[in-house]
Amino acid sequence: MTKMEDYKKIQEEGKFKVGADVPEITFISIGKRGVRRLDGYEKASGEAIYNRDIQIPGMLYARVLPSPYAHARIRKMDTSKAEAYPGVRAILRYDDPELKGRELNGSYFAPEWVDKGLAGWALKPIHLVLGDEAFYEGHPMGVAVAADSEQIAIEALQLVDIEWEELPFVLDQEEALKPDAPILRPNAKSNVLVTGGDLVEPAHEVGSVQNGFQEADKIIEFRSRRRAHLWAGAELPCVVVRWRDDNLEMWIHEQQPYHSKMLISEWLNLPMNRITVHSPYMGCSFGGRGNPANVSQNGMNILAALFSRRTKRPVKFLYDRSDTFFGESGDMMISDFKVGAKKDGTITAVSMKNNFAVYMCTNGLEHFIDNSRIPNLRLETVIVDVSIAPAWWHRCEQLPNVFCFTLVLEKVAAELGLDPTEVALKNDGYDGKDSSALLEYKKKHGFPDRDSLKECIEAGKKAIGWEEKWHAPGTRRLPNGKMHGLGFTWTHQWDDVRGTGSACVLIENDGTVSIIGHQADIGVNPWTAYCQIVADEIGVPFEDVRLKPFDLDHGFALMSPDGSCCLCSNGNLVRKAARKAKNMLLELAATKFGEVKPEDLEIKGREIHVKQDPTRKMPIREIVKNAMPIRKPIRDIVKNAMPMFDSCVFWTEAPIIAWVWHNQGIWGNSITTNRPRLCRQAQFVEVEVDTETGLIEVSKLINVNDVGKAISPETVEGQMYGGSYMGVGRALTEEMIWDPKTGVLLNRGLLDYKYSTMRDSGPIDAIYLETGLGHGPYGACGVGESTPTIVPAMFAPAVYNAIGKWIDDFPITPDKVLAALGKA
Amino acid sequence: MKELKYSCPYCLAVFGRIESLKNHVILEHESEPLPVPEGMITLTINGERYELIVEPEWTLYYLLHDKMGFTGAKMFCDRGACGSCTVIVEGRPILSCMTLAIECDGKSIETVEGIAKNKHPLVESYVKHHCMQCGYCTPGFVVTAKALLDKNADPNEHEIMEALDGNLCRCGTYPQHPKAVLEAAEVLRKGKGD
Repeated sequence: MTKMEDYKKIQEEGKFKVGADVPEITFISIGKRGVRRLDGYEKASGEAIYNRDIQIPGMLYARVLPSPYAHARIRKMDTSKAEAYPGVRAILRYDDPELKGRELNGSYFAPEWVDKGLAGWALKPIHLVLGDEAFYEGHPMGVAVAADSEQIAIEALQLVDIEWEELPFVLDQEEALKPDAPILRPNAKSNVLVTGGDLVEPAHEVGSVQNGFQEADKIIEFRSRRRAHLWAGAELPCVVVRWRDDNLEMWIHEQQPYHSKMLISEWLNLPMNRITVHSPYMGCSFGGRGNPANVSQNGMNILAALFSRRTKRPVKFLYDRSDTFFGESGDMMISDFKVGAKKDGTITAVSMKNNFAVYMCTNGLEHFIDNSRIPNLRLETVIVDVSIAPAWWHRCEQLPNVFCFTLVLEKVAAELGLDPTEVALKNDGYDGKDSSALLEYKKKHGFPDRDSLKECIEAGKKAIGWEEKWHAPGTRRLPNGKMHGLGFTWTHQWDDVRGTGSACVLIENDGTVSIIGHQADIGVNPWTAYCQIVADEIGVPFEDVRLKPFDLDHGFALMSPDGSCCLCSNGNLVRKAARKAKNMLLELAATKFGEVKPEDLEIKGREIHVKQDPTRKMPIREIVKNAMPIRKPIRDIVKNAMPMFDSCVFWTEAPIIAWVWHNQGIWGNSITTNRPRLCRQAQFVEVEVDTETGLIEVSKLINVNDVGKAISPETVEGQMYGGSYMGVGRALTEEMIWDPKTGVLLNRGLLDYKYSTMRDSGPIDAIYLETGLGHGPYGACGVGESTPTIVPAMFAPAVYNAIGKWIDDFPITPDKVLAALGKA
Repeated sequence: MKELKYSCPYCLAVFGRIESLKNHVILEHESEPLPVPEGMITLTINGERYELIVEPEWTLYYLLHDKMGFTGAKMFCDRGACGSCTVIVEGRPILSCMTLAIECDGKSIETVEGIAKNKHPLVESYVKHHCMQCGYCTPGFVVTAKALLDKNADPNEHEIMEALDGNLCRCGTYPQHPKAVLEAAEVLRKGKGD
């Protein structure tokens, strides 16, 4: 074959093929409990190095000025005092020739989706790396300083004299639409950023909601509101950069280091082969600021690179906790619903008007398409500009979808006096079709004939004691005086489509196996799972396989843990590489055994043997070690003649190295991906509501997730209960609060912004099902994004079940409970 | 942190350690006390003695993490809310970000590095029970749990949760920690022959 044919073959083999994935191997480590996680010791012992821990001799510390105003323009800026301040080594100003007029390039990802004028997914009018007009409080603005210490950099920023022109601002999306609202963007006619059913389509209608409402026995109308929460990850964002001649070396805290390299290369006009990227362990990401296309992250990388090039010093660019409250929140949404349903709970039409203040990237309709047979759907979206930092997708962008879906299904059940689990089963399906269409799809592609939703609901009902505990709303007062409530919701699992990646499996000359492929760590333990897959596929012990994830320079990058897909894409990827390497190893082994074909051989443990005669065996290390084994008599002669011979001459075999590329497909709903979601999840919660204080306590939470196949059971459970804590926080306590008079965020630290501690939830039961219905390796479907996204929504029906009143304003805080009870 | 040389104010003889200089002054010049260099503190970290010159505004976290390379103490919340920078000072778990280095003069400090080096069973039980996801907060939990076990060799689940309640974990690994601490406590008790 010519080289191009080789390349085309790799491309062809890389394409994901839809179909059931029936394992062809015996699982040894896959699915077993007690497999030691690769990152465990480093993290527990404090040995794991994170970006924030990186220090290089001579390193400078850099900070940027956050705007103190919600909307303001710099009239005049005097940096002379800061420049003269001892320890200050460089200052970058908005009018610096290298920065003036230069835009962020964070919209690089998807230029065909978003107009460049909108600068990134966040759809905010923020173009400049360092501009002179702030569109929200906290907006990196005007000036940045690099100094001998972080403290000096902060003090120097305080010495910059700025004459600000304060401009009118607006925080609320409905206020922003009023005719007398100030227009926030220069030269704009209104604060509407985008209208329509989708970013790329006009108002979206499937079927005819008009007809659907006519068929309905009952029409239900309501309004719901969801306020902003944010990611606020553990490690504070930072980047370390160092120039060597015209080579840029970066240590980054990002989920998508490869994309970061592309972006910085584009902005600096620096060839990619002169950029070296290291990504140490990362203290959380969840899709948030760790994304290089995020406006703040993008700007920080660029400023750090410029500082380092000017000063010829390594530079660490830092954000503090307060800074993390700007540019990494989720979206804010006000929704008006009109729903038509028949008496038996069959929903005939759903019409929604969704008004977003800041926006991630989904609109609320997708889950109705992905897992319901509702034939008539209509969505009108408006995305409005407000004086609040742009949102960013974080665990996860499906929030609008699960909220709309949960509230519609639950209101229908409540209004009709039906059990919501029955309403769920009555409406399950996809793309307006009932579940027989799902069955047909499964059959066509060889998937097992299992009803994922039914199995999830049964498991969850049993675990929470649904049949015994379910009651009419507001009817069960507990002996402790509190009101008891049960909540339920469901949707599909979605983490199994999207992404491309490449990796290589190398059999080292001692018989151990390395997976070479860069990947940022976000803590979901996929690295152990990749090693499990490679070990079991080749047949070697799990302990003999390691991943080399920290550096990008070897040229292989696994799919970033982002875009709602990690193991499900990369598991397929490393498996392909493992199978290829295994075949190469067997071919080499056959030449050394003599008179056997590769297919006659089997790998077990650290040895290869002949299938028909297991006594004929050879250690793998012997097969890969020596290209020119020297027979003993000759060896002795040589040894006597040249005593140093053995220690200085090696003839290693040509490395057994197999590289592959994998393309899992595109992100989106079942229509865009052409893959209906088959795995479902059902979530249950039991709450106690104190009608005197309004306090909601979680007494039990049950996650039931169909994960298709659990490669690492402990990891699956970790994602489920971990997400539940985040979900409980979002439902009850996590809320960003702005001062309406000044537009300033009031709670910008972890004392005032409250997320769950160890004691903020009762017991969480993580129950997972393995139906093999996912599109990942061995039928797996990811679980990481599911629970934190869906758990908050079910607190609305749970609180309704407890007190008999709907609270359609998230988070559900005690004051809202008291107001609903007429006590506030 | 500077490398220190101590010279005798009477005869200018030079010593590498302050103790040697003290002995010299007492023996040769029959005099004390000795002027201590400004900003000098003495710490015992993980059983090893350090003499350090610190600035008055340095926090213990800054000294340990940035200046001495004990990077197991992590900056998470920024100040005083999360427990990730916890170290044990004289047996008590404290937030190193809220403690000035100079306040710790003469004190004994234990960090996660020391706990791991001494093969405390908490580290292994934390690995076994998957008490980490991103792992950034994990050392702070290990240190806090170690301080608990030093005081209470047989804690119940409630006591463990009470002790660890001040440590934040954004990944939500919480349910695994009590299991790991209970197991480590058992290993310790068995090791002592209880």
